[in-house]
Amino acid sequence: MGNIMSVSFAPECTEKKTKYDDCFNKWYTEKFLKGTSMENECTQLWDDYITCVNAALANHQIKPSLDKAREDQPFSHEEISGSDKK
Amino acid sequence: MKLFESKHDFLYPWDQVTAANWQKYPNELSTHVVSVDILSRSIDKENKVLRTERLIGCKQPVPRWMTALVGGQEYSYVREISEVDLVNKTLIMKSHNLTMNHLLQVNETVIYKPDMDLPGQRTLFIQQAEITAFASFSRICDKIEDWSVERFGQNAKTGKMAFEGVLKTLGDKWEESGVFVKDVSNSLINDIHEVTEKTSEVLSEVSKLGNVFRDD
Repeated sequence: MGNIMSVSFAPECTEKKTKYDDCFNKWYTEKFLKGTSMENECTQLWDDYITCVNAALANHQIKPSLDKAREDQPFSHEEISGSDKK
Repeated sequence: MKLFESKHDFLYPWDQVTAANWQKYPNELSTHVVSVDILSRSIDKENKVLRTERLIGCKQPVPRWMTALVGGQEYSYVREISEVDLVNKTLIMKSHNLTMNHLLQVNETVIYKPDMDLPGQRTLFIQQAEITAFASFSRICDKIEDWSVERFGQNAKTGKMAFEGVLKTLGDKWEESGVFVKDVSNSLINDIHEVTEKTSEVLSEVSKLGNVFRDD
């Protein structure tokens, strides 16, 4: 059965993303949800992927609007957890 | 500013719903969503909270009148922050548009948490969006907002039904193996319509506003 994985906005990062997503989803369902691991076990794959993404964000000129959004709306932990208590 | 609110009960346990949430992204038919990237991810070990920042890319068929205002951009992007709180059993997602946000701001909050009556079996879905349009004439703002709220509602309805299908398939596999398997058949994938990426949809379909504008 073929998997259709979502792609990265930067084509050169999609393969790295797929490998990381596979690792993450396995860890999430098998360990995190069961409370047996609070350690990210996909660090090497993550490093490969995020290095690619960060370079692409700069190249595609998405970085400035992203930085502004992060500054305007940080969506802090307090803000996120507070939205369930409104 | 206009508000859109929606609630729904998914007949699946909360943990399954949160796992499906990471895997419902392939959108072969919802062609407006073209990419999903994880920008950062961290774990608060003490409180058992997983925080994720994602970038959702969608095609942006900008109408002519809008191109004149914002400059032609092929893609628009939405930033989303989510937190899975394992202790309180909540998945909360907040998102906003990075592109064209001086014209239209969509702020969405989605909460998934166990239903109080049947916490082990049902998950409550609460969606809220604040839609604000900025333009020189309030009448046009009203039109943009009304149209956006209407589109948001239509898409949210379809999205919930489709997510039920995804949950069913993944849930069957969960029962078989105890874990989620991400092999979802192509035909099912084709039925997927996003639940939470309404922000992208509203933006991508903003192009139709071109017609509204021309009517004036």
